[in-house]
Amino acid sequence: MSSIKRAVSLYSYQDEYARGKMTLEDCIKELAATGVEGVEIISDQMLWGAPEVSEETLADWHRIITENGVKPVCNDIYINTVLYNNRKLTTKENLELLKKELRLAHKLGITLVRLVSLTPTDIIEAALPLAEELNVVMALEVHGGMAFHNPETKKFTDLMFKLNSPYVGLVVDTGIFCRKHPRVSTQFFLNQGLNPAVAEYIDNEFAKGRDVEAISHQRVLPDELESGIRSWTDREYVLFAGGYENHDFSVLDEYMPFIKHFHGKFFEMTEEGTEYSIPFKEFIDYLKDKGYDGYIASEYEGGRFALPGTEIDAVSQVRRHQEMLRSYI
Amino acid sequence: MFDNYVLTDNSLKNVKKDGKNTGYEMRTRITYYRGIPLSMVHDIQIEVGGRPVPRESIRFSLDGEQYFTLEEMTTVTSYKWEYGQEAIVYVEQDGGLPEGEHEVKLTQVTRVAYIPVPFSGTQTKTMAVQ
Repeated sequence: MSSIKRAVSLYSYQDEYARGKMTLEDCIKELAATGVEGVEIISDQMLWGAPEVSEETLADWHRIITENGVKPVCNDIYINTVLYNNRKLTTKENLELLKKELRLAHKLGITLVRLVSLTPTDIIEAALPLAEELNVVMALEVHGGMAFHNPETKKFTDLMFKLNSPYVGLVVDTGIFCRKHPRVSTQFFLNQGLNPAVAEYIDNEFAKGRDVEAISHQRVLPDELESGIRSWTDREYVLFAGGYENHDFSVLDEYMPFIKHFHGKFFEMTEEGTEYSIPFKEFIDYLKDKGYDGYIASEYEGGRFALPGTEIDAVSQVRRHQEMLRSYI
Repeated sequence: MFDNYVLTDNSLKNVKKDGKNTGYEMRTRITYYRGIPLSMVHDIQIEVGGRPVPRESIRFSLDGEQYFTLEEMTTVTSYKWEYGQEAIVYVEQDGGLPEGEHEVKLTQVTRVAYIPVPFSGTQTKTMAVQ
């Protein structure tokens, strides 16, 4: 037993929430019943008016959290740099938006904000004094398709090393450790008319241990792959395939001191109780070895690949993912 | 991939004012995973029976009280389209739609900073005018 802690990102329940099957309170109650220690929210998803939420919403949030005894550990925030269609926001405007988010996190009793990939790096240093004052850490998401080698991600990590502050860090998504292409995605695209030969090519690349992101995000695809592409669906599938990166855990070594939180991204829990694409057992062994004592938040993304006419069941998927994490921790 | 959020079932209806049909409306939920200010709704496109609706005839509302044209919406930052919230898309058309079933295609296009081009959600449904 290590001191790694378990959380769930409410991103997991987005379909149930959107369809009105589960309210925010239902989501938190479900976590409490499952014995989850922490909750990660997306304020723009479930708190109306965010980042300027009403006093009533705030009071309700604190009531729900207190009554259920689940600790809020992270808020996934996002800077709307494309607020207008005729210009990008200025640095000053982006900074003001980030400051609003830091203040909201503070009001919600949360000490970590997860900045979505491609959050402008040039506002971080100026926001640091407020982050320190409010005790809210700013951590960039390192997501599949935009991992450490991505120039924008690197811009942030360069600054992070330079500032060397406990208030600037990273949230790493386990989608960068895929050993297989998620088969729920393959099935979804096959259902849309994907050429099976294209799916097979991608599966083979994974089987050879290669990182598909390095292939699919290039402007020119390998001839063998390109020749299999017959439709927009094929092209879209290949583009998305690059969102599942295949890195060795050692890619984290140099960043470990700055990693504040993990997204336990998953697509499909199998009958055997493992994740189909991501080797969580080995991942958690790596983290134990490094002495990581923060949270891993289950983030279910398989819902988007539900086939037409089938129901999304995030609740049981998350339960099984939590069970798996618990057994490995 | 959230295209099935685009058109709410049984939401197509004629809108009456002073005893006359002035147009019709339908309901739609955002195909993104978070709420956004209305100015980030890049476009709304509608086809009924295969015929495109003129952009100028489209109004968008979150509450049924405040309606914006798509042109006006480009500056509307103080109203947020919440995730899961059914917004109203109204089309100004004298007489509304004839009774019966219509094939409706609705496309919503939104701007999100980490995706280089505005992305869209589309759904086509045969709906009866309520």
